[in-house]
Amino acid sequence: MSTDSFRDTRAATIPAPDRQLTRSGSAADDGGVPANAGTAAARGAAPSGKPSKPRKSGRRRNISERNRPLWMLIPGGMLMLVIIVVPLVLGTYMSALNLDQYTLRKWISAPFIGVENFVEALTSSPLLHSVWLSVSYSLIATVVTVPLGIAAAVATQNPFKGRALVRSVFLIPYVLPSFVVATIWRTMFQPDGVVDSALGTVGIDSGLWLNGPQTYWTLILVQIWASWPFIYLLALSGLQSVDHEVHEASALDGALWWNKLRYVIFPYLKGPLSLAFLIGMLHHINNFTLPFVLFGVPAPADVEVLPILTYVTSFQSFRFGLSAAMAFVSLVLIAIPLFIYLRAVRLDDAETPGGKK
Amino acid sequence: MRFAPSAKFAAVAVAAGLALTACAGGSGSSGGSPDGAGKKLSVLTGVNNHYPEEQKEWFKDIAAKFKAQTGADIEFETFASANDELTRIQTSVVSGQGPDVYSLGTTFTPTAYATKAFVTLSDEDWKKVGGKERFNPAALGISGPDSEHMAGIPFVSRPFVMAYNKDLLAAAGIQKPATTWDELAVQARKLTNASKGTYGLATGYKDNYDPWKFIWAMSVQAGNPLVDGDKLKMDDPAVKKAYETYFGWLTKDKVVDPAAIGWSNSNAVAAFASGKAGYLMMTTSSSVPTLEKSAVAGKYAYATMPTVAPGESASKGDGAKAASILSGDNLVVADYSQQKDLAFAYVKLITSKDEQLNYQKIFGELPANAEALAALTNPVLQPIAEAAGKSKATPFTGAWGDIQLGLVNVTVQSIPDLAKGSVDGAALDSRLKEAQSKGQASLDRASKS
Repeated sequence: MSTDSFRDTRAATIPAPDRQLTRSGSAADDGGVPANAGTAAARGAAPSGKPSKPRKSGRRRNISERNRPLWMLIPGGMLMLVIIVVPLVLGTYMSALNLDQYTLRKWISAPFIGVENFVEALTSSPLLHSVWLSVSYSLIATVVTVPLGIAAAVATQNPFKGRALVRSVFLIPYVLPSFVVATIWRTMFQPDGVVDSALGTVGIDSGLWLNGPQTYWTLILVQIWASWPFIYLLALSGLQSVDHEVHEASALDGALWWNKLRYVIFPYLKGPLSLAFLIGMLHHINNFTLPFVLFGVPAPADVEVLPILTYVTSFQSFRFGLSAAMAFVSLVLIAIPLFIYLRAVRLDDAETPGGKK
Repeated sequence: MRFAPSAKFAAVAVAAGLALTACAGGSGSSGGSPDGAGKKLSVLTGVNNHYPEEQKEWFKDIAAKFKAQTGADIEFETFASANDELTRIQTSVVSGQGPDVYSLGTTFTPTAYATKAFVTLSDEDWKKVGGKERFNPAALGISGPDSEHMAGIPFVSRPFVMAYNKDLLAAAGIQKPATTWDELAVQARKLTNASKGTYGLATGYKDNYDPWKFIWAMSVQAGNPLVDGDKLKMDDPAVKKAYETYFGWLTKDKVVDPAAIGWSNSNAVAAFASGKAGYLMMTTSSSVPTLEKSAVAGKYAYATMPTVAPGESASKGDGAKAASILSGDNLVVADYSQQKDLAFAYVKLITSKDEQLNYQKIFGELPANAEALAALTNPVLQPIAEAAGKSKATPFTGAWGDIQLGLVNVTVQSIPDLAKGSVDGAALDSRLKEAQSKGQASLDRASKS
């Protein structure tokens, strides 16, 4: 990893007091400090309040690690237990029950069927197809929104007349409720609607937007429209954190705009944009309102994404056990790349170049 | 003294309150109403989006009358969508506490019944709500699996009918609305003038509910009630014929606006309201407020939908009685309720003839009370009242939700073909086969439990 090697070289060259500081920074990785509570609780370390695995055994605890008021994590830890862990455990238990409208009333005593729900979800339901749709659509939408967001942020970085207005306009898609966005787009995409007639004037027969194979691209298009301002916001915050001296220094060195952008500014954006990418992906994968309002239920087979499938299984077919199993499988599937990604970008690393928090 | 007036007022108020309570006690003992002084009944009902203000007034009015009868208060809660309602029911069912009385859509009643969380009324219970005979017999059709086991108490009927544009029909030389689906197609062709943007039928192919109602109706009228015991019969030729007819309006007869593949029911209402359609299919009395304010005000009338299946000359089986699905709202009393007698008293109050007529006047929904239904004199509503008597219940099984979903899904997945102008028979077969196997699996689970 480039970031790691960067840290190593720096750690090797800087004098001892600074090194102490470096260590305390990396110790944060092991969980326990409030800024890192999310990861800590996920590893189950929050309530016990001890760093679970010190990175190097036998290493002396430094000052900031001793006497940390870890008991302050108790309220947050309790809430996480109630809000996240308990439902997760219940959901997992439900996925092993034959729970439907006939057994819901006494759901604790619903027949225990072990992995049958999982087998059904993986073999005879459209689950894997839905996972593929969800992940691919989210990825495409996110990959497209990132450059759009950066471009918009860079364009509105320097003051010009009417910048405040442009910035406000940029935020409109973001502040509109998903329901409204989807309703408006659905109206525009009607057969012979606004979009069709606009394309018709330039001689394009666009076909169906809200049914059939093209729905997949409709969903991506609307998702991009609705979510690029989020990337824009985070990119903007990254740009704001670039020190004035950096601009001056690069100007003195005679860097032209592209070189300045590529080698000076973008490294600053790496942290916020990694975060934006991650949150954007998760947001897209979890987006229920947009496909639900755009296409309705039952959805065309090309946009039967995960949230829609789980919803239909739960609330139209009343197969609560099966849908819990589906949710569990998708959680695992999403957790794998997420875990790798989190390890890779080290969002909690205080020493990413330019990653000022 | 400064406080004298308010003290006097308080005294008067207390006295009045006592008098009222005394009255309530008196009427309670004579009318057999339970004594509910100090108790509170909780009622969950759907929010009325057409008439929100009137609904609030109605709540107040009923609460006052209920208080006068029983001494108990009512707390009304509303849900905004079917999904909301379902969530409430689930939490109540699981936790064993929540509203005492629920108002449910008819097609959802079998699912609710399957949870066994609601009271199956005994003869004694029926007496407490005013007797089974006070209700329109057709409206009781989806209250339970058989006449001995009923949980749903009919509250309003909302049968489906079609509306027609009197001027357009007269201009095309049509004497009276069609009574068979074949005749309807013939009439619709006469009414269609695509160059002027006028079409014979207005219906939405993208609606989340309408498609299955057409298929169900045509199939029942051809003698196939879809569910036969624990067998699903969706792979029957009658079902395929129904789909072909329904799709054919668009692809072969060309009597529907091609844009209708993207329409929901409200788009169809709008098209009819602008005078661009001869018939508006699958609508209810709730379209009255919209149509009265539209270009067709005074020019439209309702009629029951055809009851003779496509390609037949007479309806088979129960077909003649299947002008509409049995639609409306049922009331159910929660099994966990600690005040069932009060709940029954409330049901008795709002299903009484006077209250039902009053409700009809405010909200336009048809009474489930037989006497009240017979007392309706408005000629516009006559065909709708007739359809209420000719409504047939959808099969009473917890699997119906899945079957309904399968029926709509066949249409949803066929829409790209519809747009291209023809639905391939083999593709339709494979979609029907898939719906059949999924629905059958659901029925199997229903019969096992």
